[in-house]
Amino acid sequence: MSFSSWVRGTRLYFHMVAASIRAQMQYRYGFFMNILGWAMSYAGTAVTMWVMLYSFQSLEGWSFWQLIFLFALAVLSWGVCVIFFFHFRSLDQYILNGTFDRFLVRPIHPFFHFMAMKFDVGAFGQLLFSIAAVTLAYIQLGLDWPFWKWGVFTSAVIGGTLIQGGILVLISAIAFWTTRSERFYWVVMFPAKSMMNYPLSLYPRAIQWVVTFILPFAFVNYLPALLLLDKPHPSFSSYWGAFSFAVGLVFFSICYQIWMMGLNRYKSAGS
Amino acid sequence: MRQLRLYLEFSRKAFQRSAAYRFDAWTRLFSNVIFLFMWGFIWFALYSGKGDVEGVSFESMLSYIVVSQMLQGVHGAGTPLWEIQERVRTGDIAMEMMRPYDYPTRSLFSDFGNIAFHFLTAVLPLYVVLFALFDLQIPTSMSQWILFLLSAVLGYLIRYSVELTFGLLTFWLMETGGVEDIFYFSISLFSGSVIPLWFFPDWLETLAYFLPFQGIFFVPNSIFVGQLTGQALIEAMLMQGIWLVVSYVILRWVWSRAALKIVVQGG
Amino acid sequence: MGIIDVNHLSKQYFIAKRQEGMWGAVRSLFHREYITKTAVEDVSFSIEAGEMVGYIGPNGAGKSTTIKMLTGILVPSAGDVTVGGLVPYRERQKNARQIGVVFGQRSQLWWDLPTIESFELLKQVYAISDQQYRKNMDTFTEILRLDEFYQTPVRQLSLGQRMRADIAASLLHDPAILFLDEPTIGLDVVAKERMRTFIQEMNQERGITVILTTHDMADIERLCKRMILIDQGRVMYDGGLSKIRDRFGKSRILIVDLEKDTQLQVQGAELIRSEGNRKWLRFNREEITAAQLIQQVSIQADIQDLSLEEPEIDSIIRQMYEEGLSVG
Repeated sequence: MSFSSWVRGTRLYFHMVAASIRAQMQYRYGFFMNILGWAMSYAGTAVTMWVMLYSFQSLEGWSFWQLIFLFALAVLSWGVCVIFFFHFRSLDQYILNGTFDRFLVRPIHPFFHFMAMKFDVGAFGQLLFSIAAVTLAYIQLGLDWPFWKWGVFTSAVIGGTLIQGGILVLISAIAFWTTRSERFYWVVMFPAKSMMNYPLSLYPRAIQWVVTFILPFAFVNYLPALLLLDKPHPSFSSYWGAFSFAVGLVFFSICYQIWMMGLNRYKSAGS
Repeated sequence: MRQLRLYLEFSRKAFQRSAAYRFDAWTRLFSNVIFLFMWGFIWFALYSGKGDVEGVSFESMLSYIVVSQMLQGVHGAGTPLWEIQERVRTGDIAMEMMRPYDYPTRSLFSDFGNIAFHFLTAVLPLYVVLFALFDLQIPTSMSQWILFLLSAVLGYLIRYSVELTFGLLTFWLMETGGVEDIFYFSISLFSGSVIPLWFFPDWLETLAYFLPFQGIFFVPNSIFVGQLTGQALIEAMLMQGIWLVVSYVILRWVWSRAALKIVVQGG
Repeated sequence: MGIIDVNHLSKQYFIAKRQEGMWGAVRSLFHREYITKTAVEDVSFSIEAGEMVGYIGPNGAGKSTTIKMLTGILVPSAGDVTVGGLVPYRERQKNARQIGVVFGQRSQLWWDLPTIESFELLKQVYAISDQQYRKNMDTFTEILRLDEFYQTPVRQLSLGQRMRADIAASLLHDPAILFLDEPTIGLDVVAKERMRTFIQEMNQERGITVILTTHDMADIERLCKRMILIDQGRVMYDGGLSKIRDRFGKSRILIVDLEKDTQLQVQGAELIRSEGNRKWLRFNREEITAAQLIQQVSIQADIQDLSLEEPEIDSIIRQMYEEGLSVG
């Protein structure tokens, strides 16, 4: 792709994003309730964690604020991910009611076009909650990170966005074969994501392996949190947490390729 | 009597419909099992190196989580909040108001049909295996079984009334994001679905006792694992009964307001 | 070489066989059996620039599948397609610039935004120059009265308004070819007429090539000199309307209201429909005159009222199907 087409693409993306925001602003009350709602539902989980640790003090050696940090780190990148990719889960709806075809009769890249369709401002609620929670945890835990740890933190947020975005892209790609995707989000990704709000070491070894090497959820929050909170990893070096960004990049591009494969299959098979 | 036959017909239809979409029922069970798994491991870790906490053993706690997850599986087969909201928005409920039956009752009976199918083909077989496999604590007497079942049914009806009431608020609110989250948060924490009330800080426990949600999962779960007996049990179930009446009265009131709104403004 | 060339085009779908029973559902997760369905079979035609062609046939005949292959949404199983010298599925984005597409049943506009914003977004999507955009918007606004609902979100538009917006949107980038999939479906008589006038104007004044699928024969009669009739994936007829009319248009239908329901025995005509006292009789005007037929009927029963029906294209096509005759 040439430089000018990148410029054009970027400009177009911002135009479409602005349109999407205006569309969501149409329901003004809903716009704010949506943001507030997301923030509240995550605060709810944090309260649950607090209640849980009230009688038990710690979970697998994680104190309440460490747990909050782990959780908020996941929510932070999930928030960014929701902004860009959350609507991918409902690709099945677009395919079933035929509106997906519109992405194929326009002179722009279908993945890009579909991605630009929605810019989910509701996710500002997640960002609001997670930034507040990370900040509080940082203070409560008396953390004082050197520069490189901020790098690890940033890499975890970007990498986490790419990993979770990748999984959403993967889920949406399933729709090209089975005309179903949203259900997979609720049945597989939502519970899996909930599990990752707690320290990975809780779960059997097999699961730890799957989320480290196959669906790399571990790089979203658990591995970087170990490094950032100076906790040892039960079996690997704690420096694994520094590679979230690289893992995210590789994983996302694989998922993107699978999506494009799905698109080709859609083009040859129809729906 | 004829009315009851009519409503039972809705149950039958819903049962058949569930059978046609049985794949959906199984996928729901799949996520139910993942959550069971997650909470099982969390409680296992919380109890590691500890004996009884607040007078509750790990075995009791594990049984509590399993039975709680089982009941949640049953509740999950009913009409979820978002679907009620969707029906309000699309005008489906307004349409049903013209039919010669009572919508809240008809919807309840439809849910019974769905639940019956989901329970018989998915929840029950799975949880029987789980209870047998892990040798979990189950009620030791017939009366405990009966009280548990009764309490679980009361809990279901409370949840149904509260959820439908929340759903009907959609008639007045264009966007329901916030309402939804209040509901889901309350039902997940205050119902004792994942953390029993006895582990709550005292002030929060007191607060929870004065909310309807504890009657949904906490009371039946506690009866099941034998943590609630004698005088306390009677009181708790009485409380459930009171909450059911209160939430039902509120539901009827909101419903009549909604009906009025439809008649006046056409939805 | 026409602006659209289709040679021996075929498209097969593989449809997963539904497995019965509980085990079937589980099994189908891992192993599926497929049945092949041929949607389009060995279709060839060529369309010249500036033509307006009706592409018609019953439901499931393969109309949409063909359109999807011409627009680059679907890849053909066999055969060649070129549109404006491009192979649509290979150069989809380039092809998208030279075509406009309207799917009558689904809007391509941004659902929640005021209508005007969809136009502005499309300006960006197609990189339309300010000048071209303004010129087109002025024209379309004037003819289609878009200004009546500029600020209304698309979801609140009436069907007629939405179709007007959709067709204007599809022409914003001055495409050479316009694909219209059921452009008048669900519209009332006035809206239909307005739509047809607009399509005709675009074809005549701008020389846009139009391919139109429709159920409404009035669309074809009004707009198209040529029609391609497709059934079960095959082309049954390709040519002018007049030829079809000559071949099948000799029949007339006599509708009579009788005093009381009577079994009619008439020669030279066929009873094709009967609803109580009302009878529909089809006859060939070269074999028997209407007067002769009326006379036959009046001997057998008292006629209260009668009318003659001219053949319409849809009845002609129905007849073609019934008789299984091919003119092409």
